[in-house]
Amino acid sequence: MILDDFVAFSSEVTGFTEFDLIGTGQAESYLRTVTEVVGERTLADLLDAYRARVTDTGDEQARAGQLTGAVLGDDRLGPIARNIIKLWYSGTWFALPDDWTGRFGAPGREGTFNASPQAYTQGLLWYAIGANPPGARAPGYGSWASPPLIPALPPSPVPQSVRTGS
Amino acid sequence: MIFPEGAAARTDTTDVAGRVYDVVIVGAGISGAIIADRLSREGRSVLLLEAAPADDLTISGYETYLNRFYGTAMKDNQAPYPVLPPVPMPRSTDARPLPPGGGPNTGGYLVQDGPHSTDTTYTRVLGGTTLHWEAKILRMLPEDFELSRRYGQGLPWPLGYDELEPLYREAEREIGVSADIEDQRYLGLHYPPDYVYPMRGLPASFLDQTVAKGIDGTSIRVGDDEEIPIRVRPFPQGRNGIPNPAYDAGRGFTPVGAVSTHQVEEGGRCQGNNNCVPICPVQAKYHAGKTLARTLHRDVDLLAQAVAYKVHTDPENGRVTRIEYRRYQDPQSTAYETGFAQGRTYVLATNAIENARLMLASGLQDRADLIGRNLMDHAYLLTWARLPEVAGTMRGTNCTSGITDLRGGRFRRDRASFSIDIHNDGWGWATGAPVTDLLRIVDQDHQYGFGLRRSLVDQVSTQLLLAHMIEVLPDRDNRVTVDPRYRDELGNMRPVISFKVPDYTMRGAAFARDLSRQLFGKLGAEDHTGYDPAEYGYVEFGGDGYRILGGNHLAGTHVMGTSPATSVVDDHQRSWEHENLYLVGGGSMPTIGTANTTLTSTALCLRTAKHLIQELRRQDRPVTLATIGAR
Repeated sequence: MILDDFVAFSSEVTGFTEFDLIGTGQAESYLRTVTEVVGERTLADLLDAYRARVTDTGDEQARAGQLTGAVLGDDRLGPIARNIIKLWYSGTWFALPDDWTGRFGAPGREGTFNASPQAYTQGLLWYAIGANPPGARAPGYGSWASPPLIPALPPSPVPQSVRTGS
Repeated sequence: MIFPEGAAARTDTTDVAGRVYDVVIVGAGISGAIIADRLSREGRSVLLLEAAPADDLTISGYETYLNRFYGTAMKDNQAPYPVLPPVPMPRSTDARPLPPGGGPNTGGYLVQDGPHSTDTTYTRVLGGTTLHWEAKILRMLPEDFELSRRYGQGLPWPLGYDELEPLYREAEREIGVSADIEDQRYLGLHYPPDYVYPMRGLPASFLDQTVAKGIDGTSIRVGDDEEIPIRVRPFPQGRNGIPNPAYDAGRGFTPVGAVSTHQVEEGGRCQGNNNCVPICPVQAKYHAGKTLARTLHRDVDLLAQAVAYKVHTDPENGRVTRIEYRRYQDPQSTAYETGFAQGRTYVLATNAIENARLMLASGLQDRADLIGRNLMDHAYLLTWARLPEVAGTMRGTNCTSGITDLRGGRFRRDRASFSIDIHNDGWGWATGAPVTDLLRIVDQDHQYGFGLRRSLVDQVSTQLLLAHMIEVLPDRDNRVTVDPRYRDELGNMRPVISFKVPDYTMRGAAFARDLSRQLFGKLGAEDHTGYDPAEYGYVEFGGDGYRILGGNHLAGTHVMGTSPATSVVDDHQRSWEHENLYLVGGGSMPTIGTANTTLTSTALCLRTAKHLIQELRRQDRPVTLATIGAR
């Protein structure tokens, strides 16, 4: 299923588990957002490239090389992959670079926009540093007086579904 | 706090045309709301004219602000509030650098005539700028009222700290201030012996504590003859904390939470949303809607979507005869009808820029040519650095503590004082952090996954930003004017701002920049401060470049004083030339010191309210002397 592939890929590039990502409640919304902007074909190419070139690579360093070679360093797929990271982290889809749209065609939706009001409140950027998105998910009176609780990294950078082959 | 259902819509132009109110107030922000509250409590009839649309204040209405904020990618300090053609407002995103010797920037609501441009803002919604304010709420120092006498700077005040002290207390009750009294006795600030704030101080952030560990007890050499020890000190906050049972001689204090037409349990205590500006999501922060809600249970009419257009006066005696307003039906359209409001007395409570704008647009410049002049706003200089350890930046309220020891001192003879904020929201104000950090780490450093997460902690949780809020003195050439060439879509003349950061302020800025280098050194923090000449606010001084940002602390366009030759209003904020007109708020302040202006402005409005109560009573007394005639 494309949603599962999207979440697995997102897990690998964001550094959060699939469980964390699904827990935001935003996966389907983000999948729609990305599809709306770049189209089903391009997104499928990105997820296929990830599935074909990265998921079976066991060694961590080789894996990073494959991910960069096949997706992040690819002229067409790289900017989309980075935008997917930023979308999960901030709730905002950032306009693709001009040279991308010049080479690969006008996006289905122009400009920089928030996927939804709720997307912002689920941004991983703040969660990653033990904070809350300003104006949402308040931590409670006086919590700021203590050292930050920065969530630990998952035991493996490889998404759970990829590890278990599900 | 219950907002009376239907109160926002119960008054129409016909009702207004048929009444002569005791007081007509222009502007339903904190100043207007507090004066309306005090007058209506005495049984006086009050009309509030509000330019913005006003539905009943409800939780769901408030959440449309919040959702607009969540949903927009551009989170500037007006982001939650609607952009409406009939009530345009200044926006920091409209500020641009001005070309040297070039024409004004007319792109935003404020026409910026230079030489320096400002990104100062105010919010034109029901409740005014208290919706977006940070609610850090300091008293002015006793010496701030004596700057002219003690240090030969600024304009003299017609009253002093001791006269305002009881009014400061009253304002602290109205707003609901959280602070521990033992932290707030410095530089001559004094209180009655048994005074405590309504609520306990908000705990200092972990970031504050980190900074305090590094710098408390440091002595700063200021000029040749002054050595000032500094420490990190919590700020009084206009947001709800833990009520102090010792308040009010042991009677305690009940915090005022969120406003709605039905009972809601929200906003009774700050939750650490770190979003005081531009909107507290739970209304733990005071906004004027809390006062308005109480007021509208009485004989107070609120006419919204009514933009004051002209103050009409009697040419014989100068008395105001009516306020002409333009009322629009549809907030998306600029079609309007003209209406008139009449009262025995009139209060302009729009803010320093809009009060001056309305007077000047009405052709009411005073004989001393002072209206609009002496425009002041705090000049903000930001410096930022990266701490050697994770300090948990981005948590808490926007700002819990700072360094206030340089608010006063003999150095004020030749250089501006300042207060320093430690910003819990990191470099956000200066760089757009943490989103700009995310973009850099992902797009330029090509980090992803665990590397990205580690980089964010290293680069964001260590951020320290000091915001120096520097005093700006009154200067005749810093001013608001109007020009018939520049009008808004409703036909109102827009404010034209001429502003130059005075050298006195820049000497303070230069000292602040040096001081932050010393402080960063003590903290082992890596200085990342930089000012881009291509950005607005860039000011060259003494061979160095600085970026001066606006503080939204507008003051000084109708200064108070002891004579019509040197001031616009008297010590009750009553116009010298129009005896039934009061120009209230920050505009009356002859100097601004280093306190955010709202508490002093509110204390002055409470003083005006007391005066108006007496004045109306005096006028109501049966006429027993034939000589009273003209009144």
